[in-house]
Amino acid sequence: MGADASDLSLVRRVQRGDKGAFDALVLKYQHKLVKLVMRYVRNPAEAEDIAQEAFIKAYRALPQFRGDSAFYTWLYRIAINTAKNAVVSRDRSPVEYDLDRKSEESYDMQGRMKDSETPEALVLTDEIRAIVNSAIDALPEDLRTAIVLRELDGLSYEEIAAAMDCPVGTVRSRIFRAREAIDQRLREVFEGGLGRAEELG
Amino acid sequence: MNEELDSQLSAMFDDELPAAECELLARRLSRDEQLKARWGRYAAIGATIRAERGVRLNGALAWKVNAAILAEPALGATAAPQRAPGSGGWRWRQGVAGVAVAAGVAAVSILWLRGQAPLPTVAVAARQALPPQVLAATPAALSSTAGPPGSYVVPRTPAVRPVVVPITELANYVVAHSAVSSPVARRNLLSAFMTSEAGAAGTEEPLEAARSNAQ
Repeated sequence: MGADASDLSLVRRVQRGDKGAFDALVLKYQHKLVKLVMRYVRNPAEAEDIAQEAFIKAYRALPQFRGDSAFYTWLYRIAINTAKNAVVSRDRSPVEYDLDRKSEESYDMQGRMKDSETPEALVLTDEIRAIVNSAIDALPEDLRTAIVLRELDGLSYEEIAAAMDCPVGTVRSRIFRAREAIDQRLREVFEGGLGRAEELG
Repeated sequence: MNEELDSQLSAMFDDELPAAECELLARRLSRDEQLKARWGRYAAIGATIRAERGVRLNGALAWKVNAAILAEPALGATAAPQRAPGSGGWRWRQGVAGVAVAAGVAAVSILWLRGQAPLPTVAVAARQALPPQVLAATPAALSSTAGPPGSYVVPRTPAVRPVVVPITELANYVVAHSAVSSPVARRNLLSAFMTSEAGAAGTEEPLEAARSNAQ
């Protein structure tokens, strides 16, 4: 498994003119990017605007992306520069300049953001969180451990296999089954009610 | 939904799928909206576990970016100009202008050569393909035409001297009346005929005929 092979295969498709592949990259990284940009701006709506601008800049610059670094690393730099430029041009002070990426990953923005988010967004986010948390609690221990080690600690399948003393194939299966169980709960609750279709309608 | 496919999707999301399988699945993912929605929910699940704020299921941000990207030109068609921003468009225009100028010069040259050459190349080729007897029969036919090979060329009617019917009739008239007219009158008439024949027609042939007939 080549590092970043999944992103790279999507990137190559975009470079050949497949816009749908870029949509998949946006879906994958939108939350990370908004969280990253919120180190520089307080307003979540503004952070989303900057993240959107960063994605569009990335799309336009994609012909120059050669895959020397991971796609997210490259996207991360674009987002940081876009956020800094936005802060300078709007003459606003950045919230946290001294945070490095490592600390950003573990930094909880929850307390700072609560008063600036819309009530609807908060309800929606809280509802999703409640469903996901309850679904995780209902998972068998081996599935829960696998998905948490992957999503929260960012371990590779090999590292998880070593930690759980099982084959890599089993880790892959456990993570997939955990996701399916959580996704099933999400779909049961939000079937037809959320997502892009509702926003378009 | 195929469980194996979903399992692959989950592994691809974690960047744990072999590159060859990634290529195939990326192709499907970019086209299959259901698969893409599932991919988006996987991202939302991960963001929720990490306690990231503003988690949506296929939220507004992805939709806005998607709408903006749809308005953009596809990268495959515009990759070359984007590699040299600022100068790419100018180079493209320069290339087109160069081709246009070259085509114009070529067209003018061809027209000029056509005006200068007595036998166009095509006509020469067609002429060479004709048998000698045809060439001899139509010497002027191909000299002024430039039809494509294989096309039918209407040969120009060869220049024929005009038949001066009134002069012949006059000669006949003189011969027919010579028997009844006086010698002086006949000579005067013949003299007048010869004078008018030389001035009007400028040819010797009818004159010769008139003379022989008169005699």
